Amino acid sequence: MRVAVTAAGVGRFGKRSETLIDLLCEAGREALDGIGRKPVDLLVVAHMAGGTFAGVENTAAKVADQLGLDTSAGFRVEAASASGAAAFHAAVPLVAAGGYDRALVIAGEKMTDLPSAEVARVLARSLAPMEIAHGATMPGLAALVASRYLTRYGVGEDALDAVTVAARAAAARNPNAQFPTAVTSAQVRESRPIALPLRLLHCSAVSDGAAALVLERTAGPAGVLGLGQATDHIELVERPDLTSFRATQVAAKRAYEAARQTRKEVDFAELHDAFAPFALLDLEDIGITGPGEGAAWFLNGSTASDGRFPVNPSGGILGRGHPVGASGLVQIAEVARQLRGESGPMAIARRPKRGLAQSIGGLGSHNFVTLLGDTGGGGR
Amino acid sequence: MSEVPPLAIVRCDHCQARFLPHPGLCPRCGSDELVRTEIPAHATVLAATELLAPAAGWPSPHRLAILEATESVRILAIVRGPLPTLGSVVAVRRTNDLYEVVLPSPG
Repeated sequence: MRVAVTAAGVGRFGKRSETLIDLLCEAGREALDGIGRKPVDLLVVAHMAGGTFAGVENTAAKVADQLGLDTSAGFRVEAASASGAAAFHAAVPLVAAGGYDRALVIAGEKMTDLPSAEVARVLARSLAPMEIAHGATMPGLAALVASRYLTRYGVGEDALDAVTVAARAAAARNPNAQFPTAVTSAQVRESRPIALPLRLLHCSAVSDGAAALVLERTAGPAGVLGLGQATDHIELVERPDLTSFRATQVAAKRAYEAARQTRKEVDFAELHDAFAPFALLDLEDIGITGPGEGAAWFLNGSTASDGRFPVNPSGGILGRGHPVGASGLVQIAEVARQLRGESGPMAIARRPKRGLAQSIGGLGSHNFVTLLGDTGGGGR
Repeated sequence: MSEVPPLAIVRCDHCQARFLPHPGLCPRCGSDELVRTEIPAHATVLAATELLAPAAGWPSPHRLAILEATESVRILAIVRGPLPTLGSVVAVRRTNDLYEVVLPSPG
């Protein structure tokens, strides 16, 4: 494919006073600084619901103008909470095909302007109408997935706690994280119940933030090895299996096939843990563990920074924060930074050669897998 | 077990999928060869949750369960009482386009 991430910018997550456009441009400027401000001829912007959350539309043109990308091509991409990954997946083939020399991909969300109950209502619009009619919420459906998973595989709730504890421990090394403090299992278990078995600390938080990266037609340590995407039935109950996300499984298969690689050649991953049980499913769905085995990996430390397969060294969505439209691109940017040796205190114990980012849109209805790795050329 | 009317479902004559009435084509294969049929309104409780931060307009706690009826038809249903035991069989009915677990009669 011969396209590589040559620079990345990631902003601070949490409550931010800036506008969505300013957050997008802040991340964009950092990425452009990384390539010495060379000109870009394509801008791809993503946010999930900027019109509703932040009252702004026509974002690509506004960002292009504010960043001085005079007459570059540009457009916006949307795929619910996987919007950031979708922007990357839209840009890569355009650059690979030679239509553009250099693309700037930026994704962000500004959520904290709205009351949290209103944010929850907007997020729930991604669900099926029948689910909304029954009073289902994102955490409610995630809790049903967790309920089935724990029962089917005889796993205790301590596995969910372990995901949060690991995420928060990693986030403590991420200078941009919304929650840069470690928590104990007891603190997780004592947090407010949201949708049992899920408690507050098993659920991601409303957040503002953005990330950006530059794509060029070149080889490098963060080359694009393979992309995969799949949708699934919008109603959870219509899917063949409640304890996996088929859209991730199919996306991962497509990404591995495109990369002509297997799961065994991947060194680490940034996984979509908007709710703690998702991390268990994700690890299984990308083929690193078998069904029902993800829990043990989180409980025995195999997913730690120095473990057998590091997961979410940036703190994941649980620790980093979840500006929904940004998270899919944040994951890819953090994988690229690990591969490029730019992760600072977040660097995993062994310098990786290949990394995977997995993003979930909606309640697992629109998922993306991105494989990055060293494609030669040596340059960073 | 409560006496409840059968549940209307849809069968796809092309791929034989069974599912609850659903807008559009067969969600599995895209066929329009859809036939309405019925199944008994009893189902096994696969998963259950109690929402203590429910959506606006719903009481707290708001309880939901995923049930599995015959022909592997799964149903998201409201529980207006204590959560049923996982693995137990319950009766389910459709009222005003909502599926609800039928609670045992008092006494």
